Amino acid sequence: MQKYKTYLAGYLFLLPWLIGFLCLTLSPIGASFYLSFTNYDLLTTPKWIGLDNFKSMFTDDYRMMDSIKVTLQYVFLSVPFRLAFALGLAVLLNQGMKFLGFYRTIYYIPSLLGGSVAISVLWKQVFDQNGIFNDGLAFLGIQGHNWIADPRYAIYSLIGLSVWQFGSVMIIFLAGLKQVPGELYEAATVDGAGVMRKFWRITMPLLTPVIFFNLTITLIQSFQTFTKAFIISRGTGGPINSTLLYSLYLYIKGFTFMEMGYASAMAWLLLVIIAAFTGLLFLSSRYWVYYSDGRD
Amino acid sequence: MLKTKSAAVSMLTLAILLSACGNNNNNSNDASASSAAPASSQAAASQAASGEKVELRMAWWGSDERHEKTQKAIELFESKNPGVTITPEYSGFDGYMDKLNTQIAAGNAPDLIQMGGNIKEYVDKNALLDLTPYVGSTINLSDFNQGLVQSATFDGKLYGVTLGVNSTSLMYNKALFDKAGVPIPGANWTYDDLKNVAIQLSEKLGKDNYALYDLSSDSGAFASYLGAYGKKLYDFDGERHFEKEDAVNWFTFWADLRAAGAVVPADVQVANPPTAADTTLVVKGQVAIQAGSASQLAGWQQLTQDTLGLLMFPSGPAGSGMVPPLSGQYITAYADTKHPEVVAKFIDFMVNDPEAGVILGNTRGVPPAGKIRDTLAAQATPVDQVMYDYISLVADTAPPVNWVQFPVDNELIALMKLTTEKIGFNAKSVDAAVDEFMTEVDKLIAKSKVQ
Repeated sequence: MQKYKTYLAGYLFLLPWLIGFLCLTLSPIGASFYLSFTNYDLLTTPKWIGLDNFKSMFTDDYRMMDSIKVTLQYVFLSVPFRLAFALGLAVLLNQGMKFLGFYRTIYYIPSLLGGSVAISVLWKQVFDQNGIFNDGLAFLGIQGHNWIADPRYAIYSLIGLSVWQFGSVMIIFLAGLKQVPGELYEAATVDGAGVMRKFWRITMPLLTPVIFFNLTITLIQSFQTFTKAFIISRGTGGPINSTLLYSLYLYIKGFTFMEMGYASAMAWLLLVIIAAFTGLLFLSSRYWVYYSDGRD
Repeated sequence: MLKTKSAAVSMLTLAILLSACGNNNNNSNDASASSAAPASSQAAASQAASGEKVELRMAWWGSDERHEKTQKAIELFESKNPGVTITPEYSGFDGYMDKLNTQIAAGNAPDLIQMGGNIKEYVDKNALLDLTPYVGSTINLSDFNQGLVQSATFDGKLYGVTLGVNSTSLMYNKALFDKAGVPIPGANWTYDDLKNVAIQLSEKLGKDNYALYDLSSDSGAFASYLGAYGKKLYDFDGERHFEKEDAVNWFTFWADLRAAGAVVPADVQVANPPTAADTTLVVKGQVAIQAGSASQLAGWQQLTQDTLGLLMFPSGPAGSGMVPPLSGQYITAYADTKHPEVVAKFIDFMVNDPEAGVILGNTRGVPPAGKIRDTLAAQATPVDQVMYDYISLVADTAPPVNWVQFPVDNELIALMKLTTEKIGFNAKSVDAAVDEFMTEVDKLIAKSKVQ
C-alpha cells in the first residue's frame, strides 16, 4: 500500500510533463511522420503519395542540393571554430585573473541573447555594406564587401554569428578544466614540461569527454539553425540560396509554398542526417575519448 | 500524517496543472499561438448568444499609413455599433500569407481577412465565407462596377468585396528626374525609351545613385513586358504563352542596363529591396524608378519630401503592356466565423459608409463605390490626385486584356528572384540561368494542374 502511494505520487507529479510530452511532442512527431508520405497544403485534407516526397527531394528539387551543401558548409565551419574559441578562452580564463567573473559573464552573454531575433537584426546592420564593420575596415584601409548580401560571403556572416555565441560552450569547458587534478601539472613541471607539453599531454586528454559532449551538442544544434538565416536573408535564403540553411528551406517549403507534406519529409531526413553524424561521433569516441574513471 | 501528505501532493499537482492552463488564456491575439484561440472563440460565441458583446478579429497588410487609417475606420464602426470590438492584426506584406495559412490550418483565422489577387486559391480551399446571402440586404453593391463584383464571384457565389481598384505601375522619384534634367517619360514610351532614360539618369545622377531597380525579378513587370511583345505569362488554359527566347530577351535587357551602371547592383538590391516602404531606395532618394502598385504611392510618399509619381510600363511592338485596373484587394470573411452577420455589416460599412470612405481614402486604391469616389474626388490631396489620374489613365488606355494570376505565385516570385540573382551576381550566364528558369516554370505549371 505504501509503495503504491509512492508510485502514484510520482506519476501525479509527472502528469503535467507527460501530458505535455504526449500532446505537444509525441503526437506532432507522429503526425509529421504520417504527413511526410502525403501532399498536404494546410488548407485541404492530406493526400497519400507514398515515398514521392523523398524521391523528389533527391531527383527533382533544384534547391535541395544547394541547401544541403550550404548547411554542411555552415556546420563544418561554425562547429570547429566555435569549439576552438571556447576552448582557447576557457584555457586563458582558467589561468586565474582579476575580474574573472566579469570576463566569464561578458563572453557568456552573446550565447544567451544571440539566438534572438533582435541580435540577428543587429548583426545584419553591423555587417551590411554601410555597417560599422566595414567602417572599421575602412579605417584600416581595407575595402569591405557586402557581407550580408553578397552570395560569396553571406554564409560567413552566419558562421560568424554562430561562433560569436561560443560562451555557453566555454563555460562547460571551464568546468571541465577545473576538474583536471592540479597535482598532474605540478608533477609535469617538476619533470621539466613546458606549457605546450602540459596542455597537449595533460589538459587535452583529460578534457576529451567534455569535448565530446560539446561537440555532439553543438553539432546537433548547428544543423537546426533557423532564426539567423531567416532574419539575415529576410526569409529568402539569401542571394542565390547562399544562406538557405536546411531548416529555413524547410520553413519556406512548408509555410511559404504550402507543401507541408514535403516539409515533413525534409524534417525526417534531417533527423536521419543528424542521427548519422551523432552515431559516427559516438562510434569514434572509443578511439579518442579518455574517461579517467578507468572505463577503458 | 499520511493523509495530510497525500492531500498536499494532490493540491500541489492541481496547482501546477491549473497554472499551465492559466498561461494559455493570456496569449495575445498577435502571437501565432493557436492554443488560445479555441478558448477565446468559445467565449465569444457564448457572449454573442446573449446578444451583447461581439469580438471580431481583422487582418490586413500594408504600410503604417494604411494601418492608421484602417484602425480609425474600425474605431468609427465600433462607436456606431456598441458591443462590437474588432481586434486588428496587421503587418507588412512579407509573411502575411504564411501566417494566414497557418491560422486557417489551425482553424483560427481572423473573421475579416484582406485578400489579394490570390482569392481563388482560398475559395478553392473552402477557407472563405460565401457572402451571397448578405448581398442586397446587408451588403450593398449596387454602386459598384459589376466587373469588380464578378472578379470575386466563383461558381455563382460571392466571396469577397473589392476594397480598391488598383494597377501595377512604375513609381518614380520626380526630384531625381529634375536633378538629372531628364524629362518625365510620356504614356506611350517604349522599352528603348526606357533604356535611354535609364542611361541618361544614371550618368547625370552620379555615384551610388541609380536610375532603376533591377525589375527582372518582378513578375508584374515581366508579365507586362510579355504583353507588350504579344505574349502572355499565363492564361485561362493553364499554360504559359511565352518561350525561352522571350525570357532571354527580358533578362538580357536588364543585364545590359546593369552593365551600363543604370540599374541597382545585385548586392545593393538584396540589401534594400523595393518591396517595403522603409527599405526602398526610391524613398531614400537614391533610385529614380521602381515597380509597385499604384495604391502604395501614399504610403511611400509619406516617408519622403521628394515628390513621387506614377508611370505606366512601357509599350512594345504589340502595344501597351498594361491591363485594365483590377481589384487590388478584397475584404473577405473566414468561412468559420462565429458572427457572419456582424462581419457582413462591417464589410458594407467599410465600402459604403461615407465617413469610413473619407477616413480610408485611397489607401487600398481607388474606392469601388461611386458615391465614395465622388466624395473623395472633391477633397483629394495632391498625392491622391496623382493616383486617381493614373488609374483613370490606365483604365482609358489599357487594352481589354484579361489578367490571370499565375497559380503558385509565391514559388514563381522566388524562382524569378533566384534567376535574377544568378545573373546579377555573375554566377551563371543569362542563357544557362534562363534554361533553368524555364525548366522550373514548366514544373510549376505541371504542379498547378495536378492541384
